[in-house]
Amino acid sequence: MRTRLKDVIESLIFVSLEPLNLEKIKNICTEFSNSEIEEAIQELVESYVSNERGIQIIQAAGGYLFSTKSEHDQWIRRLLSLENKSKLSHAALETLATVAYHQPVTLAEISALRGVDASYSLKSLLQKKLVKITGRKKSPGRPLIYRTTDKFLTYFGLNNIKDLPSEEEILKILDEEKILD
Amino acid sequence: MEEARDYQVNLEVFQGPLDLLLFLIRKKKIDIHDIPIATITREYLAYLNQKAKINLEREGEFLLIAALLIYIKSQMLLPRESELEGEDDPRKILVDRLLDFQKIKAASTLLREKEGQQKRLWKRSAPPPLPIKQEVELVEVSVFELAEAFLSLMKRKEQENIRLIHGKEYSLEEKMKELIERLKENGYLDFREYFNSQESLEEALTSFFCLLELIKARVVIAVQESLFHPIKVWPTQGVPS
Repeated sequence: MRTRLKDVIESLIFVSLEPLNLEKIKNICTEFSNSEIEEAIQELVESYVSNERGIQIIQAAGGYLFSTKSEHDQWIRRLLSLENKSKLSHAALETLATVAYHQPVTLAEISALRGVDASYSLKSLLQKKLVKITGRKKSPGRPLIYRTTDKFLTYFGLNNIKDLPSEEEILKILDEEKILD
Repeated sequence: MEEARDYQVNLEVFQGPLDLLLFLIRKKKIDIHDIPIATITREYLAYLNQKAKINLEREGEFLLIAALLIYIKSQMLLPRESELEGEDDPRKILVDRLLDFQKIKAASTLLREKEGQQKRLWKRSAPPPLPIKQEVELVEVSVFELAEAFLSLMKRKEQENIRLIHGKEYSLEEKMKELIERLKENGYLDFREYFNSQESLEEALTSFFCLLELIKARVVIAVQESLFHPIKVWPTQGVPS
């Protein structure tokens, strides 16, 4: 029975274009108990790790999804005739980092933290669906409040907002920079 | 000014004034918590002076921090009874901002790394819609739709305000023959084109009645690909002579 469940879950992940989370899998596979499902997922993920395959199952934004392995990148880009995947601009990345670490946050707060007006980069991040508006702050002018999205997590391969580089990692970078100076 | 000339760095390379300040602090190997405000202010202003003109749109923020620096400097110059410490240090606002900014910068570097790693992983994405050549499904047009199309066409003609010379009479029989001839020749008839070519309202009306008769007799059929597409008239089978 379990082998079948494993295959079912595999096909569910295959069909999903967005990370498929455990809750959804449980809601779909009603014939199976939660522990059976969790076990099957575990087995499935492991089978991809051990088997020598070109694709793998990764966890992002709290769900599972298929991805290729990084060492095959150059051939895939050849197939799609892409030189390089476009990256976020410096300003956009810095704005995104500000939102990620200070959310929920308003445009004025972001701009103050960066020392420059962030409205343009925030707009482009909204368009890319990496940040979203989640409401208005109860302060004068009722400014909009911004947060990062699930797409943001997937974009950086984070399973959870807690997976963001920690304070220690950041301080380590700063120390390294000091030594370099 | 002299000092600044050694480092010909454009303001454009900095991600804002805080970035420039951090650069100056690093260059001097200064502890961020104990900034010699007079020196840094001088250096900072020297950078701004490099530019003959300040574009307020783009570099206004640099001026804002310059003002803050000068403000802090003035606060530092004021004689005080006790040594400034901790919260009272006028430099604190700036230091806090710089520390926050520094962290964001470092976090950006880390995120950039992660971005690079993720960019090498290819995920399934919605397949691009392929331009499949589908058989168009034709919808038969109802009499009401035909009438509506006819009326809107005639209204448009009316607006053109053409002077009419009455005289010629049209018979249903003749018109029907003509219509069938045209169908035989072209295979089909474009509804709009056909009625646009009619000379007068009378002629158009006669033609329209012919068309309705022919549709009723199932000799021809009026179809369109979908709503608002051009209506075309086809013979149902071989056009009877």
